[in-house]
Amino acid sequence: MTTTAPKHPAVEAPADASRRPRARRGPLAGIRVADFCWMGVGAVATRMLADFGAEVIKIEDRTRIDMPRRLPLYKGDPRSYGEELPDADPDRGGLFNNYSRNKLGVTINLRTERGRELASELIAASSVVTENFAPGVMERWGFTFDRLRELVPDVIYARMSGYGHSGPHQHYRSYGPVVQAASGLSYIAGLPGHEPSGWGLSYMDNMAAYYNSAAILMALRNRRKTGLGTEIDVAAVEVGVSLIGPMLLDVTVNGHSTHRPDFPTGNRLEHPQAAPHGVYPCAGEDEWVAVSVFDDAGWQGLEAAMGRPAWASHPEFASQASRFAHQDRLDGFLAGWTGARERHEIMHLLQAHGVPAAAVQNARDLTETDPQIAAHGTFFELDHPVIGPARFEGFPVIMSGGGADHWRSAPLLGEDNSYVLGEILGIGEEEQLELRIEGII
Amino acid sequence: MNDDASPDRRPLPYDGLRVVELAGDPAGELLGKLLAQYGADVVKVEPPAGSATRRIGPFAAGQEDPDRSLTFWYYNTGKASLVLDLPAQQAELDALLDRGDVVIVSAPPADFPRLGIDLGTLPNRERLISCCITPFGLTGPWKDYRSSDLVALAAGGILNSCGYDDHSIPPIRPAENQAFHIAASFAHQAVLLALLERDATGRGQTLDVAIHDCVAVSGELANPFWFYPEVLVQRQTCRHAQPAPTAPALFATLDGRYVYFALVLADIKPWNALVEWMGALGMAADLTEPEYAHLVHRQARFPHIQSILEAFCLVQDAETLYHEGQARGLPIAVVNSPDEVIHDEHLSARGFFQRVERDGEFVGVYPGPPIQFSSYRAAPPTPPPRLGASGGEVWG
Repeated sequence: MTTTAPKHPAVEAPADASRRPRARRGPLAGIRVADFCWMGVGAVATRMLADFGAEVIKIEDRTRIDMPRRLPLYKGDPRSYGEELPDADPDRGGLFNNYSRNKLGVTINLRTERGRELASELIAASSVVTENFAPGVMERWGFTFDRLRELVPDVIYARMSGYGHSGPHQHYRSYGPVVQAASGLSYIAGLPGHEPSGWGLSYMDNMAAYYNSAAILMALRNRRKTGLGTEIDVAAVEVGVSLIGPMLLDVTVNGHSTHRPDFPTGNRLEHPQAAPHGVYPCAGEDEWVAVSVFDDAGWQGLEAAMGRPAWASHPEFASQASRFAHQDRLDGFLAGWTGARERHEIMHLLQAHGVPAAAVQNARDLTETDPQIAAHGTFFELDHPVIGPARFEGFPVIMSGGGADHWRSAPLLGEDNSYVLGEILGIGEEEQLELRIEGII
Repeated sequence: MNDDASPDRRPLPYDGLRVVELAGDPAGELLGKLLAQYGADVVKVEPPAGSATRRIGPFAAGQEDPDRSLTFWYYNTGKASLVLDLPAQQAELDALLDRGDVVIVSAPPADFPRLGIDLGTLPNRERLISCCITPFGLTGPWKDYRSSDLVALAAGGILNSCGYDDHSIPPIRPAENQAFHIAASFAHQAVLLALLERDATGRGQTLDVAIHDCVAVSGELANPFWFYPEVLVQRQTCRHAQPAPTAPALFATLDGRYVYFALVLADIKPWNALVEWMGALGMAADLTEPEYAHLVHRQARFPHIQSILEAFCLVQDAETLYHEGQARGLPIAVVNSPDEVIHDEHLSARGFFQRVERDGEFVGVYPGPPIQFSSYRAAPPTPPPRLGASGGEVWG
């Protein structure tokens, strides 16, 4: 990565007073985090800290713009992955906004000695340091756990990587799909006789992030009790393996191999023997409804909801075991019934009869029409100087003691440089100007 | 991260934390397991017939028995089991709740009374943190709707991103209780936030964890693609759902396995690494020609490149592709099955897997604690409890 002249000069102090850093509310108020995270896992992990009151200072590099700033998720401008604009405005990226709301942003060129000095000063003024680079990157800049402990004796140093900070594959490159493949989570999803269908998202970016958030909270709580700082090592692959579930014990206890022609089972469920248990076509193009029947009560509800069609009273559907044994025929009949109906209409009708069922909802459904998400306020809105008003995915728990403190959308690139350098590090305006001119910030 | 061979004296993060678990599904059970794994004292309260998960297979050696369910075994290590016949033994449950720090209730709201839980009186215990995990939450128009892992993934949007390129095939559920796992991980964070809050104020609180909402915020790109450009993503085989189709990323290998590799043409560095690697095996074909240095040319020849890559993978075994590709700095992965994961050399070197025994009998090889601290330790692995194993004595 070569150092080039910054295309986007450091912004001046924000014109809008509402964007100036303010005292925060929540269980993490007063905790300052020097946040070296980038990409998905780290950004999602520290987002939760920022939501609940921590002063998370995201350290960015103008010569190496964070990928979520570059990905073309722009308001009113549909583009695919790979259709990035070569000279994209780093403040326009929607994914970055979703990941980094409530955080502060400072730009420091860590490839310079002065930049690393500034970062050390910022670490010394913080009590938590977070990073999700490949192992070795922070070390190359001198930021070992031992060095951090010299700066902050009880520091919490949270390290989030694909493979962890020890072991023969620690330097392997990873992102969500690599972790999912290596940990077994991709293999176990799909239809028998087909290639795995796996995951259509970086599931493990989110799950590793959630485990990392919890790990940092565990360390914070214990530091308050014992005074001990700690290094944290979360390997996304290990989190992934821990999410395989009982199927793993079927291998290790029973020696029941997953290399068999009837594996995996698609949407069918063997444990417990549910039937019907699947995803059925509905009226419209590529529209689907998921239905799960576990017992006689569920089946009777389904029968009643369908108006007791003649096929349903056939003896082969008379018991749960028999329904399970005759799923091919059962699925065919049920698909015939669902195929003529609208997916939400089926969902509400079946639910009214006590049958677990849901439309396969997409992001538009969740955002525009899902009354449950709306009632809970799970998605919320904040204004952004470049993007304008935008929606965000909130912390999905309603807490009687008080929820998240959403004070600002994501920082513009370098938006909080003068706050961080001036008010936290006590660097005068003249020197800040020099740092800007020299390309350090 | 603890190289010292002497007994591990590092503190347990949840030492002294008393947890009452009333859970009949994997969401609450996984939360209880995570707390137990780091030292909490978790009492699983079960009805006389045992938790519902004890009746879900597969069973050890195929023997259907409440003490041999592998579903139960997986989610319930490190806990004590206390059988209470409710409502007859409500007083005993209340006494536990009076002494507990956290109660996990994981069930549809309609089942709460049967579990001995009255949401009206729970908050009367000032210090208690009540973590209620339900399919759709405690409030809202769908609060009484029923669910399953499949239904939760459908309603919450993740299922819409998963499946095959062929859209005559329905979306396919990623296996093994992942909606419950997502909810457990949010519940864990919420319990920690509530503990921090209580440490400061002395007051507990009620945490309303809707599995639906947890899934709905975990779809990665799907929601931002709607929030910003207002486009919907379309499912593709074992790779990111996208607004427009992208190239396949699964490649069959010589030994009948698969590797995952998404070729990003825009970056020249991985391109050069790939061509050099292919060249080393004499399989770079025309890709070494200078025109390929230009992105436009690579993009125009993409189907050709992809077909060479397919052939390149087909003549090598999956492990070789994985390790050799990674050694060359390419983000390539072998698609491991659970059978293969348990023999992974990296995980073995990190000592990740743990052998669990019960009364001298081998119970199974389990994934170890998913978080490592230099200053704190995880609890040693303890087996899943037999039904009522505590004999009615807990927290003596």
